[in-house]
Amino acid sequence: MAITFLFCLFLARFFYIQAIWEDDLNLRAVDQWTREIPVVAGRGKLIDRNGEVLADNRAAYSVYARANAVTDPEGSAALLSETLGMSYEGVYGKLTEKGRSEVTVARRTPKEAILALEAHDLRGIYFAEDDIRVYPHGALASQVIGFTSYDGTGTTGIERGYEEYLAGKDGEILFETDLVGVEIEDAVAAYVPATDGMNVRLTLDYRIQALAEEVMARALATSSSKAARAIVLDPTDFSVLAMVNLPSYDLNDIPRDDMATLNALSRNSLVSDIYEPGSTFKIVTAAANIEEGLRGNSSALPLNYVFSSSRSRVVDGSTIRCWSDHKNGKHANQTLAEALNNSCNPCFVDIALALGKEKFYEYLGAFRFGQATGIDFSGESIGMLLPESTVKNGDLARIGFGQTVAVTPLQLACAAAAAVNGGYYYAPRLVQEIFSEDGITRFFLKPKLLGRTVSEEASRILSSMLEGVVRDGSGKKAFIEGYRVAGKTGTAQKYEDGHIAQGKYISSFVGYFPANAPKYLALVILDEPQGSYYGSTVAAPCAAEIFRGIIDIMKIQKAEG
Amino acid sequence: MGETSAGDLPFLFAVILLAAYGVVCVYSASSYNAEVQYGDALYFFKKQLAGFLLGLAAMVGISFVPYEKFRRAGLPALLVSLVLLALVFIPGVGRSNYGATRWIGVGPVTVQPSELAKYGFVLFTAGYFAKNPARMRGFKGVLPVLGAGLSVCVLIMLEPNMSVTMCVGAVMIGMIFLGGASWKTLAAICIPVLFAVPALILAEPYRLQRLSAFMDPWASPKEEGYQLIQSLYALGNGNLFGVGLFHSRQKYRFLPFSESDFILSVIGEETGFFGVLLLFAVIGFVIWRGFCIANRCDNFYGYMLVSGIMLVFAVQSALNALVVSGCIPPTGLPLPLISAGNTSLVVTMAAMGLVYGVSRHNGKGKIHRIYQ
Repeated sequence: MAITFLFCLFLARFFYIQAIWEDDLNLRAVDQWTREIPVVAGRGKLIDRNGEVLADNRAAYSVYARANAVTDPEGSAALLSETLGMSYEGVYGKLTEKGRSEVTVARRTPKEAILALEAHDLRGIYFAEDDIRVYPHGALASQVIGFTSYDGTGTTGIERGYEEYLAGKDGEILFETDLVGVEIEDAVAAYVPATDGMNVRLTLDYRIQALAEEVMARALATSSSKAARAIVLDPTDFSVLAMVNLPSYDLNDIPRDDMATLNALSRNSLVSDIYEPGSTFKIVTAAANIEEGLRGNSSALPLNYVFSSSRSRVVDGSTIRCWSDHKNGKHANQTLAEALNNSCNPCFVDIALALGKEKFYEYLGAFRFGQATGIDFSGESIGMLLPESTVKNGDLARIGFGQTVAVTPLQLACAAAAAVNGGYYYAPRLVQEIFSEDGITRFFLKPKLLGRTVSEEASRILSSMLEGVVRDGSGKKAFIEGYRVAGKTGTAQKYEDGHIAQGKYISSFVGYFPANAPKYLALVILDEPQGSYYGSTVAAPCAAEIFRGIIDIMKIQKAEG
Repeated sequence: MGETSAGDLPFLFAVILLAAYGVVCVYSASSYNAEVQYGDALYFFKKQLAGFLLGLAAMVGISFVPYEKFRRAGLPALLVSLVLLALVFIPGVGRSNYGATRWIGVGPVTVQPSELAKYGFVLFTAGYFAKNPARMRGFKGVLPVLGAGLSVCVLIMLEPNMSVTMCVGAVMIGMIFLGGASWKTLAAICIPVLFAVPALILAEPYRLQRLSAFMDPWASPKEEGYQLIQSLYALGNGNLFGVGLFHSRQKYRFLPFSESDFILSVIGEETGFFGVLLLFAVIGFVIWRGFCIANRCDNFYGYMLVSGIMLVFAVQSALNALVVSGCIPPTGLPLPLISAGNTSLVVTMAAMGLVYGVSRHNGKGKIHRIYQ
């Protein structure tokens, strides 16, 4: 009969729903049966190469309220407002806000306050971990480390670049509730633990960073410069040991209200900003010439070649003069080594023109000018290099001694390192390891060789010449007895709106030691020093101070002989 | 009229068992909601228990009355039903709930006239046919029944309450069939009905919405589809063996009408598929025994009366299960004997008392011939 048929029909339907469809239905239903309180994952720490903590977390908590589950809004509001130092009306308003299932009452509340509140077992009030990011060394390496937004996501620097690893995965506490979010009595809350973020080990050495910052801060003050920058690099694998951008700011007291200031202060200029390098660039020109000479290129000027003593060169009708007036006779009859010592511009004009556009640009490419260095830091600038096709002889001649070309400090430091370390260009790096707190998961970021610049022989010859610059030439102020410091000075006039800005200089020095097996390389830059402005007098002493500090810290012995 | 006997005791016990089980289920399904809304977890339980006791008294009381006495009550019962149904529309007397006016209130007591009207119609039809079984043969003889059925249907439809209308309609056709009407007569009734259903659905926009919600409840999970989704969640959670009596998760205010029209969802959740199977085995047993009583009855009036009552019970149980399992669009129809709602419970139990009464007053062993 019809009734029997109907019974069979719906019983089959019940069977389908309850035995076959139930998994899918349950998956959807669980969602409505529970309300979640987030368990914020602990953010990974940032440490230096030796384990010194650079960014850490301090335990704090968020206070949530679920208005539908609050049984005593008056009493709870009174207690909360007193403990948290908030207005009673504000808290009461939140506790009675029926429209939303969950309201945040307070964030980043210290642990003591939470312990006090927990003792009262307030209905409808929940606590969840919500840590505060702290930077034990305040302003130290602030542009490298970066900071996090209010909700704990990395906004700048390594904090942002390695967000994916640092952040971890939030967990949650699931409360069984009724339709409107009232907790069901005797129901067990399910706890989905958070996966904490991974720690990031930087290549920075806290001690060298602190030392370099101290040296540069002093130089900034005494030279009344606009900015003081330094980068310390390990030429053997391009690990960045220190990056100094002054002025700086305290990461624990970020000027969040003043975006312009914050943007300026938090910028890692060493990576993102470009400048005309001037004479430090001659290292590259010299390296190219030496290598080409070794390869038997007849266009290259031999090492014993004597440059013309004239102060000026005329290229395509325009006259290029040396910074020196050549009157005291020092710039007369120079070899390449002497030209480097004296930083004589016309000699490098000769080299650039002798090598020719094609050859010289080959080397500019190998030294990665006009390209990214590949550092693991966002916002890298590639500098400005005239395209080979549009370069005229006049431009080529000037590029030979570091004009008509703009580079980032990082590009210059890396090029110098790749010229003197045997000719190996590695990708510079700030992070060497990512690991979980329990040590179970570990990623090592190995040095990455990007290419060769010059041969080991050319590199060795160049290095001994640069050692001469510090021993006998313009880099004397960086000399340290017994440590074989080598380097090159640079003084460049600043350009503003396409014109030379009178009286505005960038003084720099790139140096390293020991010359025979470079281990520490430093590029020091002072932006608009007042008074003395030569790289030899302003920047070289800073490098010497940094090197002395490193010798102290690393307890490096004097070289034999 | 034969001598009285102990009657069909298995039938009686099965009915009481169902009603008692209903009281337990109502408690389980409603306790949380009652606690939140009335501050008394036992609120619906107490009401249902009172209904159960009242129903039990009505059942036993009616079973002692020789059923032939109801024969003359047919027309008055129909008229009273119609009057009560009409009263629903008088402002001040009618009580509205969930957008439909289905109740009349006398002080604190509310009565749902449609629950009475179903049985009023059965009483009338049984009496009318029994007076002269021969008139069933022709279409004209069936007309008064059609008229009575349609008047009841129209009034209930105006409340509106589509499901009870369908229920009465199905009972009407069923009784005309059991009464021995010819195929032609049945066809003449059924075919217009087939056309009327789409027309009625289109007449009220909310029915169309519900229909579309029934096709894909997740298209509007917060509105039309909500009820069905929640019912499916409950059933899904129940799986084969259920989460255990009193452990429904959906009764925490997720499933509306969990103690009344959708109590079967909660039962399905708490006792699983096998619980539902067992419940319908008992319901099926009651229906089977009921029709056995009808068939054994040596009196055409008794046969029609019992058949009609059992039809109401069977159709309503089936419709409720179809709604809860999402086979037909959601409508407000209680699961007889189980769902919360005192009018339904008392009246159903009283009607079951009538059936039991027929079994008591029956001569034993005489099998009634079904006119066919």
